[in-house]
Amino acid sequence: MEIAFWILSAITVIGAILAITMRNLVHCVLSLILFFLGIAGHYLLLRADFLFAVQVLIYIGAVAVLILFAIMLTRHVTGTEGPREVLGGKWWAGMGTAVIIAGLLWAIIRKDPLAAMLPAGMASTSVTEIGRALVADWLVPFEAMGVLLTAALIGAVVIALEEVIRKR
Amino acid sequence: MNVSLDHYLMLSAFLFAIGLCGALSRKNAIIVLMGIEIMFNAGILNFVAFWHYKYFAVLTAQMFAIFAISIAAAESAIGLALVIAVYRHYQSIDVDEMRSLKG
Amino acid sequence: MDQVYKVAPQLLKFLSYLLGWLPWIGKPVAGFLSNPPAWFLLAVAIAIPILFVVSVFPGIFAYTTLVERKALGRIQNRIGPNRVGRWGLLQPIADGVKLLTKEDIVPRSADKFVHFLAPVIAVIPSVLLFSVVPVGAGLVPVDLNIGILFAFAISTASVLALFMGGWASRNKFSLLGAMRAVAQVVSYEVPMVLAAVAVVMAAGSLSTLAIAKAQGGGILNVTHWFVFRPWGFVGFILFTIGAMAESARTPFDIPEAESEIIAGYHTEYSGFKFALFQLGEYLASIAMAGITVTMFLGGYNGPGSGPGILGGLISMFWFFAKLGGMIVLTIWIRGTWPRVRVDQLMSFAWKVLLPMSIVNIVAVGMWHYIAIRPIAWVVTTLWLVLWFITLSKLAASENIEKREYRYAS
Repeated sequence: MEIAFWILSAITVIGAILAITMRNLVHCVLSLILFFLGIAGHYLLLRADFLFAVQVLIYIGAVAVLILFAIMLTRHVTGTEGPREVLGGKWWAGMGTAVIIAGLLWAIIRKDPLAAMLPAGMASTSVTEIGRALVADWLVPFEAMGVLLTAALIGAVVIALEEVIRKR
Repeated sequence: MNVSLDHYLMLSAFLFAIGLCGALSRKNAIIVLMGIEIMFNAGILNFVAFWHYKYFAVLTAQMFAIFAISIAAAESAIGLALVIAVYRHYQSIDVDEMRSLKG
Repeated sequence: MDQVYKVAPQLLKFLSYLLGWLPWIGKPVAGFLSNPPAWFLLAVAIAIPILFVVSVFPGIFAYTTLVERKALGRIQNRIGPNRVGRWGLLQPIADGVKLLTKEDIVPRSADKFVHFLAPVIAVIPSVLLFSVVPVGAGLVPVDLNIGILFAFAISTASVLALFMGGWASRNKFSLLGAMRAVAQVVSYEVPMVLAAVAVVMAAGSLSTLAIAKAQGGGILNVTHWFVFRPWGFVGFILFTIGAMAESARTPFDIPEAESEIIAGYHTEYSGFKFALFQLGEYLASIAMAGITVTMFLGGYNGPGSGPGILGGLISMFWFFAKLGGMIVLTIWIRGTWPRVRVDQLMSFAWKVLLPMSIVNIVAVGMWHYIAIRPIAWVVTTLWLVLWFITLSKLAASENIEKREYRYAS
C-alpha cells in the first residue's frame, strides 16, 4: 500500500508537471495521459474499482483522444511551438498564485491532521450498490446529467460547425 | 508510517497547484484546458480519499466523483469545440490574442 | 485465481514428489514444496494464471496467423504456406525468426521516444484484456466485479498506441492511418458497449464469470446461451461487428488499408516493433473473440461442462473450441468481404449500429418484464425485426445516386 502510494504519486506528479511544461503539444497530452493513469491507480488503491474503470474509459479513452483531435485540427501536425511563445504575458502572476495556493492548502492540512481521528476502511463497494444508488437516491442528478451531456454534445457540434453553416 | 488521508490531501493540493500554474501561465488554450482537467482530477481524488477514509459506508463521495467526471467530460468537449471555433476565427489559439469582443 | 489458490497445494505436493528424487537439492526443495508458507502459495496462485495467459494466447496468436494465411489462400484459390514443416506447421517460428533478425529502422525525423513506446503500449492492453476472460468453469485470472467495464476501459487504451505510432513516424500516411484508427475505434466503441449493456442487464452482473454462469443450464447446457434469445442474437451480431472494427479486422481495416495509405500507422515500423504491433492487434482480436464467447455464446458452458476436474476440463475444451470458431469466422469474413469506405464506416456506426443497439436494450427490458416466455419471444422478435427493417430502409435510402461513368460508357 505504502510503496504503491509513493510510486503512483510520483507518476501523477511527474505526469502533471510534464503536461504543463513540455514544449510539444502532443508530448503534453501523452504526459497528461500518464497523469490520468496515475490517478486511476490511486482509485484502485483506494478500493474504488468502478471509478478506476470510469477514469480510464472517460479520461484516457475520451478526453485525451478529444484533446489529440483538437491539436490535430488546430496546429501543424508536428505540434511544436516556437521558442518564445510558450508562456503567457503575465506568467509570473499565474505561477505566484499557484505557489501561494499550494502553500495555503499545505498549511491548512498541516494544521489539522485529520488522519489521527479517522480509522482506515478496508472494504470495497460493489458495482451493484453504486448502480442502485444511481437510480434510487441519485435519480434526479443522474437524469440531469443525461440532459447536460446531451446539451453538451449538441452544443459542441453547433459551436464547432458554426463557420461551415455560415458559408452556406 | 501508514498512508493516511493527509497524504492524499497533500498530494491533491500539490496537483491542484500544478494544474493552476499550467492554466494561468501557459499561452496555449489547449494547455489551459489541460490544466483545468488536472485541477478537476485533484478535486475528485480528494472526494475519493475522503470516501475511503471516512464515509466508507456512504456512497455520496463516489457519486460526486462520478458526476464530477461526467461534467469534466462535457466541459472538455465544449472547451475544445470553442478552441476549434476560435482557431477558425483568429488562426491561433493563444489566449493572449483573444482580446476583442467583436466577432 | 481463487480456484488456482485451492489447487496450488496439491500441485506443489505433486511437484515435490517429482523433485524428491533429485540428488543434493531434492530433499530440502521437496520439504519446502510439500509444506509451503502462505506467501509462496499466493505467489504461485498469482504466477500460474499469468504464465497461462502469457504462454497460451501468444501460441494461439502464432497459429492464428498460420490458419489465416492457409484459409485466405484456400478462399483465393491458392495453397498458402506449405514449405516450412509439414503443412507449413513451422511457418510461425520462421516468421518470428525473420522478424527478430530484421533491421530495426527508425526514420530520421521521427520522434524517437514515442516511436519506440508505441508498439510496447500496443501490446500491454491486449494482454491485460485476458485477465477477465474466463477460460473454464470458475477459471478466470481475476474475477473483477467490474469485469466487462474493465475490458472496455482497457481496450480503449489501445487507441493511444495507434495514435502514438502514427504521429511519431512523421509520415503523412502514418498520420492519416492513425487519425482513421482513432475515429473508427471511438465511434465503434459506443454501439459495442451498448450491445454489452443488454447482456449485463440480462445477467445482472458486470463480472464475466457471473455472465458466463448465467448461461448455464437448460438442455445440454446449450439452450440458455444468450445468442439463442432474440436480443442476444442481435447483440451478438452488433458486438461482433463492433469488435472487428475495434481491432481493425478486414472489412473495417481502413486504418491500414494497403491500397490507400500503404500500411497506415505502422508504415514506418519494421522488424520486432512491427511484430509487436501485429501481436497486439491479434491478441486484442482474440481477446475480443473470447469476450464475445463469454457474453453471447455461453462462455465455457457446453454439454458436459460443470464443476469438478473433468467438468472443468470439458468446459475449457468448449471455451477454446468456441474461441477457435470465432477466430475462423473472422478469417472467413476477412476473406470474403470487401473493405468499406471511411464515410460508409462512420455512417454505418452512427446510423445503423447505434440505434439498433439502443433498440436492443429496450428489447431486453421487454424480455425481462413479460413473464410468459412465448409472448416475450414474439413481442421482442417483432420489435427487433420491425426496427431492423426501418433502420435499414432509412440507411439505404440516402445518397444512392445513379453512378455517372465519365470515361467509360
